[in-house]
Amino acid sequence: MDGKKKGKVVMAISIGISCFALTMVMSMQFKVVDQTDITSIENMRESELRAELSNWKDKYEDVNTRYEEVDKTIKEYKNQEKSDNEKSKLLQAELSQINLELGKTDVTGEGITITLKETNNTDTAITADDLLVIVNSLKLAGAEAISINEERVINTTDIVEINNTFIKVNGQRILSPYIIKAIGEQTYLESSLLGNGGYVDELKKNGYEVTIEKNSKINIKKYEDELKSKYMQ
Amino acid sequence: MDFSHILEKKCEVNKMNKEKIGLALGIMCAVLVFGIIVQIKTINSTNPTYSSSNTVNNLRDEVLKEKEKYDNRYEELEKAEKELEKERESSTGNNGELTSVEEQIKEGNKLLGLTEVSGEGIIVTLKDNTAQVTNSLLDASDLVVHDMDVLSVINELKNAGAEAISINDQRIVTTTGIVCDGNVIQINGQKVGAPFEIKAIGLSEQLAALSRPGGYLSILQEYGIGTELVKSKNITIPKYSGSINFKYVHNQ
Repeated sequence: MDGKKKGKVVMAISIGISCFALTMVMSMQFKVVDQTDITSIENMRESELRAELSNWKDKYEDVNTRYEEVDKTIKEYKNQEKSDNEKSKLLQAELSQINLELGKTDVTGEGITITLKETNNTDTAITADDLLVIVNSLKLAGAEAISINEERVINTTDIVEINNTFIKVNGQRILSPYIIKAIGEQTYLESSLLGNGGYVDELKKNGYEVTIEKNSKINIKKYEDELKSKYMQ
Repeated sequence: MDFSHILEKKCEVNKMNKEKIGLALGIMCAVLVFGIIVQIKTINSTNPTYSSSNTVNNLRDEVLKEKEKYDNRYEELEKAEKELEKERESSTGNNGELTSVEEQIKEGNKLLGLTEVSGEGIIVTLKDNTAQVTNSLLDASDLVVHDMDVLSVINELKNAGAEAISINDQRIVTTTGIVCDGNVIQINGQKVGAPFEIKAIGLSEQLAALSRPGGYLSILQEYGIGTELVKSKNITIPKYSGSINFKYVHNQ
């Protein structure tokens, strides 16, 4: 009798242990699967890898160009005659480039002009989201300066719908028709909005009147307000 | 005394116990086997068989090489930028006018997102819906965070006066576009996956209005997307990992 009982206990314990071990292994595996990073290159397909490769090449080119510029400027500072006039020129050149990048100057260059308008066939007005998507597409296509109805789009620009009645850009009220100007490579900019999945085609399908005009010279006005940081150190 | 009767009963009890144990073991085994099968299937589908082919491996090596090349150059650029800053500082000397220009350059670089910054603000986290699709009317794509969602959150933060924003440590600069690429989002050419951690520096009370009733976060919550908003007195946002190189735009 005693021996039988002992055997049972041993059996129960060993089954318990093996069940526990299996559960552990399983939960570990679930964790591993869960952690598999879909953004890591280990899990990419061929087409994704090709896109990734050209992406890193582009990024390298950008950083390399910038490096060469910085290197050149360092040399200029080092070689300068020690007169305040020369120093001032160098500093002003750097500042003017920064102001250009910030959107604080009136600029010109090749690019496109998009005009958006509601028609009799459209039941709803063009929304802030529509403009947001177009601006995003233009940025992805390498736009270097953008404006909507002469309001310059800078890094902190917001495009919001007020009570579903009008749109504000940089806190300024704008009205339809919407004229979006972008400076950059004309063909890139245009093709980012056309074709399969292009947002302008989408809008046209929904009955809006949209025109895109390529131009070798587009003027975009500067951001009017003062740019200042208050909270970031 | 009828011993045989007791013995019989005991046997019956033993038999019943055995049956119970057997049943329990059987069910356990079935569950475990099922679990293992599910896992093997999941692993199979995440690791396509052709991932080990030669072209793919070569491509992977090339990507790694290119990334390393970029990393090295970026490191050099960082050093060069520090040197430039020193040169600039030393060139101003005691000249008040030059110092003022130098300070404007520093402030400009900060506004462009080319320096690491810190200050008060908020951290918003967006997670894909983990719940099962129980309602067939519900589109599975409604349950994941889209580029438009991220775009809208960023836009609302800018509206609330955010001075610096990052998504999974990718700084938003003036040229940043966001694109949905399968189940990952690409920002600044860098792929980031959910959960999305959006940091913003600015007046935290104002930025926290993002979670107000009817605000964008509450809309996302209706779709079951996990959202979390934390205010903080000290948030650090890294600098832009690329560089701004304009080719087409010129001053008038």
